[in-house]
Order: sequence, then C-alpha cells, then structure tokens
Amino acid sequence: MKIQPVSIRELSGRKDLRLSAANGIIGAEKEISNSEINRPGLALAGFTGRFTPNRIQILGETEYTYLASLSAEARVAASEHVLSFGVPCVIITKTLQPPRELLEVADKYGTAVLITELTTDEFLRSLAEFLEPHFAPRESVHATLVDVYGIGLLVTGRSGIGKSETALDLVERGHRLVADDLVSVYRMRQGVLMGGGNEQMQHYMEIRGIGIIDVPSLFGIRSIRIRKRVEVVIRLEEWDSKSVYERVGIEEQTTTILGVELPYVVLPIVPGKNLTVVAEVIALNHLLKVVGKNSAAELNDRLIEAMRKSTANSIYDREDFE
Amino acid sequence: MRPAGEMVRIASGFHADISIVKDDLSVNGKSIIALITLAAESGSSITIRAEGEDATEAVDALVNIVERNFGEDE
Repeated sequence: MKIQPVSIRELSGRKDLRLSAANGIIGAEKEISNSEINRPGLALAGFTGRFTPNRIQILGETEYTYLASLSAEARVAASEHVLSFGVPCVIITKTLQPPRELLEVADKYGTAVLITELTTDEFLRSLAEFLEPHFAPRESVHATLVDVYGIGLLVTGRSGIGKSETALDLVERGHRLVADDLVSVYRMRQGVLMGGGNEQMQHYMEIRGIGIIDVPSLFGIRSIRIRKRVEVVIRLEEWDSKSVYERVGIEEQTTTILGVELPYVVLPIVPGKNLTVVAEVIALNHLLKVVGKNSAAELNDRLIEAMRKSTANSIYDREDFE
Repeated sequence: MRPAGEMVRIASGFHADISIVKDDLSVNGKSIIALITLAAESGSSITIRAEGEDATEAVDALVNIVERNFGEDE
C-alpha cells in the first residue's frame, strides 16, 4: 500500500502531541514523509554538512538556550542556517517561546513553528508512537488475527476453509478477535509485525450460512482487540495424503511477512478434528518456547540420554562376560 | 452492501483466486468483509483479477454482473 504523507496541519491536530502554532497558519500544508527527526544544534551553530532537511526539526532546551545566548543578528543567521533548507516544520518543546528572529525567518520561508507543552523526551516518544506505525511498511493479508492467551495467531488459508469459524470458536472460548478476513499488517522497528483491521469493518465477521455478525455486540467488549503483535502464522489446508505434515516438532518451520520471520504451522483439516483446541495448543506451546521450554527438543534430549546410558551398561556387561 | 454480497456469491462459485483492486488496496474477491472494506462506491473504478483454471470465466462473470449494475436495473 502507498504511504500517505502527514501534513503539518494533521500533526498539530494530534491531541497527544500538545502542539500549538507560534506563527499562525503558515506552512500547515507542508508534509512529512518519514518518521525521523533532527535536532539541529550543529546547523544552528553553522555546520550544515550532512544536514537532513526533510525531517521535523526539534529545538529542545539546549538549542533554545544556545539561541538565547546569541545576539539578535546571530540569531537571524542561525535560524537561516536551518530554515533556508525548507524544513517541514520546527517544533519547540516545553512551551518555550520562540525568539522573534526565528519566527521572522520562518515566516519568510513559509515554515510552521510549533510549540509543544511536552518535554523533548516525552514529545519524541509520543511523536514516534504516532509516526512509526504510520510510515511502517504495510500490506493487507487475507487472514484472520486472534489473540489466544496473549499470542497473536494469524490464521491463513483459502476462502471457505474455515478461518472465520475457527476464530468464532476461539472467541466463544474467551479469546479475542483482532480482525477477520482482512488484516492490515505493518512492520514496526526490530522486526515486530503488528496486525489490525479497518476501522469500520474490523470486528464484523462473515459466517457462511448466517451472514455478517457483530462480534463485540454478541460476545461483549472483552472479545475484541484493536491491534496485536503477530506471533505465529497458521495455515489451514485440506488434508492431502501426499503432503508431509510436521509430526515431531523439533524443527520449526517459518514464513516471512514484510521481512519479519515468524513460526509457521500448517494444519491439515480433517472431519472431527477440533481446530480450536489445536490453535490453543499452538499458542500455549509458543508460550512455553518463550519461557525456554521446547517439549519436542526436551523429549529428544531425554531419549538420547537414555540411549547413551543403555550403551554404557551393555559395554560394562559385555566386558564382564568377555 | 447488496452488490458486495452479489459479487462474493459469484466469485465463490469459481476455483480461481480472485482479487478486487481499488486504488492500491487489493482484497480477496470471495470475502464479503474485505469487499465492504474496499468501500467501492457506485461509480468508482475497480480492477478484477483472477488466477487459476477457471480464471477467464470468473472474470467474465464478475464483469458481467458489474456491467448489469448488479441486476438492479432489471
């Protein structure tokens, strides 16, 4: 999906960023197209090598004190160093009042100067919370995302195979639906994959034979979640006698979505098989692995240990009988 | 919502994987939830894509229903 830039107007409208404009409506149409920021300390002082002009410029107390220490003339020059690049906007933290010279230069270049009530640290964190998901690589996947015991299970498989029915059964057992049939996934920093849904349709489900149902109305608010990290991918498939299914579980299969590698389980569908319980077990098994216990690997170690012991005994016995 | 249901009903009759594309969002043509999300208003343009053995027939059938305005004129 194409990434939409964020306008300064949109940014200043975010309640959590506590922004107000210092120079009116100037520069509100400028746009930000990445989540990175810059602290232009060096640029203010005159060093503009490797300056990153397409980023939001943030002036904290340090930069502010530096500007205040300058003569009026030098303040104009310092402001010029930063603003002449056509930066998207300048944000001053901790409700510090921008110097008159900075505002004049900003007006000249049509750049918004915004003031936030937050400290630099708080502001950077809130800004990242808003911009990172917005600019994260994302795609829509045909799948159902359910939170099972806190593990995000992304259920994939062809249309009509029973993804929604599996999810409905899980919800009925107290697990939480994130999105059905269309999951919007995006990659956060450090290879974390998040999944959510479309606002209008997120918690509706289509159950064949019934039609569209509203999950929170039927099962209560505890039955839904707005977004969830994706932790395991499950693929539902018709049983195929030629296919080889995992029987031991020592080697973990993985699949990659948006460059994030995730554990991958292929589940064959057979009449009479309770997929819900299997899904719960997949989640619980994943939790066990998180706390450092791999059932299959441990059983393997125990068997090897038992074999090693029995070999030692037989050598001992053989030696005695020569 | 009815046109979406109609499209899903027809799409589900084929084996081919069908996707409906609007702007830069591509969704599964057999999922009503996905189609409603696409929120293709009357008059907007969509692309129908199909892959699989009966892909051509699937696209023909879907184009046909769209062109007949989902049978609403009849």
